[in-house]
Amino acid sequence: MRCINLLTASTFLLCGTLAAHAHATLDRSDPAVGSELRAAPHQVTLWYTQKLEPALSSIEVRNSAGERVDQGRARVDPSNHSVLRIGLKPLPPGTYKVIWRVLSADTHTTQGSFTFQVGDR
Amino acid sequence: MYRLFLRAIAPATLATLAFTSHASAHCFVGSRFFPATLNTDDPCVADELSLPTVSRFKTGDIPSATQTDISVDFAKRITENFGVSISTTWTHVAQRGNPSASGFQNLETAFQYQLLKDSSRELAMLAGVSVEWGGTGAAGVGAERFSVITPTFNVGKGFGDLPDTVRWAKPFAITGQIGYAIPTRSSTTDVDPDTGEITVANNPNFLVYSGSLQYSLPYLKSNVTDLGLPDFINHLIPIVEAQFQTPVSNNFGTGIGTTGTINPGVIWAGQHFQVGLEAVVPVNRDSGRGVGVIGQLHLYLDDLFPKTLGQPLIGAASNPSKISFGK
Repeated sequence: MRCINLLTASTFLLCGTLAAHAHATLDRSDPAVGSELRAAPHQVTLWYTQKLEPALSSIEVRNSAGERVDQGRARVDPSNHSVLRIGLKPLPPGTYKVIWRVLSADTHTTQGSFTFQVGDR
Repeated sequence: MYRLFLRAIAPATLATLAFTSHASAHCFVGSRFFPATLNTDDPCVADELSLPTVSRFKTGDIPSATQTDISVDFAKRITENFGVSISTTWTHVAQRGNPSASGFQNLETAFQYQLLKDSSRELAMLAGVSVEWGGTGAAGVGAERFSVITPTFNVGKGFGDLPDTVRWAKPFAITGQIGYAIPTRSSTTDVDPDTGEITVANNPNFLVYSGSLQYSLPYLKSNVTDLGLPDFINHLIPIVEAQFQTPVSNNFGTGIGTTGTINPGVIWAGQHFQVGLEAVVPVNRDSGRGVGVIGQLHLYLDDLFPKTLGQPLIGAASNPSKISFGK
């Protein structure tokens, strides 16, 4: 039992010392996931739980017809490598889907998607 | 006499043990993360360590014995799609009127191949073979002298592809496992040390099957709607697992029927490890008595050691040279 306690304690120490490495998962976003907005946003900003590889992290934003409405290239915030954002074209009322795929600094790929609404449903 | 009692319960427990091992995979399929479930193996190969899994429950014997299991499971990818795992369990059994017994169960290994990971459908499939190596454990806790080979098939499906009209159901996912446990000896002969009586017991083949229904609050927050819940809540995955084993052949005269448990609980999934806690509710008297409990600390080695232990032994995990989006 003592051996197990030691192993468990060592594991938690490892978790602490290696906290900079893990799959990058979406922590929050602006617009918020599933949100309904009165005014169209000018950009989408995603905050992740890990630092990202800028060259291999990207976002697409599509309207309900499947057409891209983003400005083409997502950029990692130079002052915070866990933040990714992309500019948007002017958005008329409707439902928009944000599709993201990122590579964390430790080479794990993750992806996800969510929608937000502009104007009344 | 006590050993004979353990021999009698062993066929029922061996299938359970075969099923509770190697629940180990850091399993991302598209937007879906399938946590490592405590009783049903999840549908991915990965580099992970369960240290420990602890369970305590009352067996289906009359009178019931209180059994405590502490197990360790280590899973390692050999290639991107092929992995092996090894697990061992220490058991303590206490029964009124009998001396308690402790010792290791038979060593178990599993060989698994990732058949499918479909990101757009959040669908994963896995085929494998697990082997319980006879004679490697302590007979005093019911470890058999014969081996048990169990071909298995696993599947996991997330419901993120449901239409937006039922978007609240998107965080649901199911996993399932089915296997056929084949003992390497069809019967076991025992001699009662007190009376000298010889008994021959058949070792049935078991159909072992289990599944889980889970609702992922991390998925809800990241893919459906962010309700602004506390961070701790946003890491929870409420879950109900169920596992059963049914003897399907060579069962004549054993008196063994279908046994199983239903396990409601919750998993907290973090960046480097997860913690799971479930109640163990037997489905009938033969499966146990009262409500037991199982808990697990599970470590994601691919996140703890992403460039060493967390990589396949042969061929590093492939990463895209260019970002592409599946429709």
